[in-house]
Amino acid sequence: MQRIINALVQYRNPIIYILLMVFSILFLSSRSSFHKNKLEHLGFYISSSLYDFSSSINQYFNLKEINEILLKENTRLKSLNLKVNAPFLYNKYLVSHKRFPFLVKDANVIKNSHLNQRNYIIIDKGSENGVKTEMGVITTNGVLGIVKSVSRKYASVISILHKDLKINVRLKNSAAFGSLVWKGKNPREFAIEDVVSSSKLNLGDTIVTGGMSSYFPYGIPLGKISKLENDNNTGYYTLTAELFENPSQIYLGYVIENKFKDEIEFLNKDLK
Amino acid sequence: MNSITIKTFSSFIIFLLLQVFIFNQVNLFGYINPMIYVLFLINYRFDRNHTFFLFLGFFIGFFIDLMSQTGGAHTIASLTVSFLRPLLIRNAFGVISELPKSFKNDPRKLNRILFLFLFILTHHLTYFIVIYFSWDAFLLIISGALITSFFSIILVLPISFMSKTSK
Repeated sequence: MQRIINALVQYRNPIIYILLMVFSILFLSSRSSFHKNKLEHLGFYISSSLYDFSSSINQYFNLKEINEILLKENTRLKSLNLKVNAPFLYNKYLVSHKRFPFLVKDANVIKNSHLNQRNYIIIDKGSENGVKTEMGVITTNGVLGIVKSVSRKYASVISILHKDLKINVRLKNSAAFGSLVWKGKNPREFAIEDVVSSSKLNLGDTIVTGGMSSYFPYGIPLGKISKLENDNNTGYYTLTAELFENPSQIYLGYVIENKFKDEIEFLNKDLK
Repeated sequence: MNSITIKTFSSFIIFLLLQVFIFNQVNLFGYINPMIYVLFLINYRFDRNHTFFLFLGFFIGFFIDLMSQTGGAHTIASLTVSFLRPLLIRNAFGVISELPKSFKNDPRKLNRILFLFLFILTHHLTYFIVIYFSWDAFLLIISGALITSFFSIILVLPISFMSKTSK
């Protein structure tokens, strides 16, 4: 206590100066509306910049939460986006039933590779989150793979970078079919097989998923044609495609569930 | 009440009245009003109580503001300048002579004039900053402070030296 009093006595002049200054500023603002206005502006400026500062800090700490919210929204928009593509194939079906058989869930990629000829990915969603085997996994701009096996919290995915995985594709402009297979070296370079040479193709045409499998809906953009050779002897094109995204550098994916998969499988089995 | 206190209060009132009723009506070139009351703050004895001096500086500005219908510019300017007075003295006279007996009896003329200049400039600058209170009026503030300081100094200097010689 003594110390505080000593300090007060020692610094009495600055303290008195500040007190009198506050009083004179109040006096000033009470007598002149111009100064009052100016001081209010100044106060507003200071408080707003302080609020700005604190809100930027708050935002930083909320980033994770915001990320999750955005991810949820993204998932919803992704499913809507896929739905928009659907009428191209399921025209009549949609008109009569107004249904779209695919559901979208988000997932984080926790292991990814491209060094082997047969690569696998692990995602952090499992049976707890409703992931089942043989569901498709897509990314923002492409396809990631197909779920192979599921544990309680994780699932392993056959990567698109797997030499035995063939994905049904179609060209956006010409409606020619084919299958997309990894060549095994560059993670962005793929071959497209089984495209009949009678169809008209150009370099740079966009490739999308074909919708002829139960894994992926129609219209997910994959890449574009980078090399084009018409082999007249075999009757098929030799095509090379370049993906929009490098599948080995993906951290976020969406698992898509086909609600009518069982029905389709059942029919398939019947055929065999 | 000793004679010094009486002297201080009487000069307080005299400078107050002089400023309000004579020098605030000058309006040289339309807007220049020399501020003579600064002399009261200058002539205050060096070695007296600084806290008391702060109140004196505050009240002389306050009364001038009240009587001449200005906002609070005189108050802020004279309060600030009386707070900064020890600093200005140190700058004008050097660190050694922090507490000379009296400003009036100090023999060093050049230091006195320097002190006068610093004191009046600081006061006028504060005054005009408060009056305009805007970045846009930067040039106005500087020019107003310089010109008014010039006329204040012209008035204050002879009075200050006269009072010294008369003693």
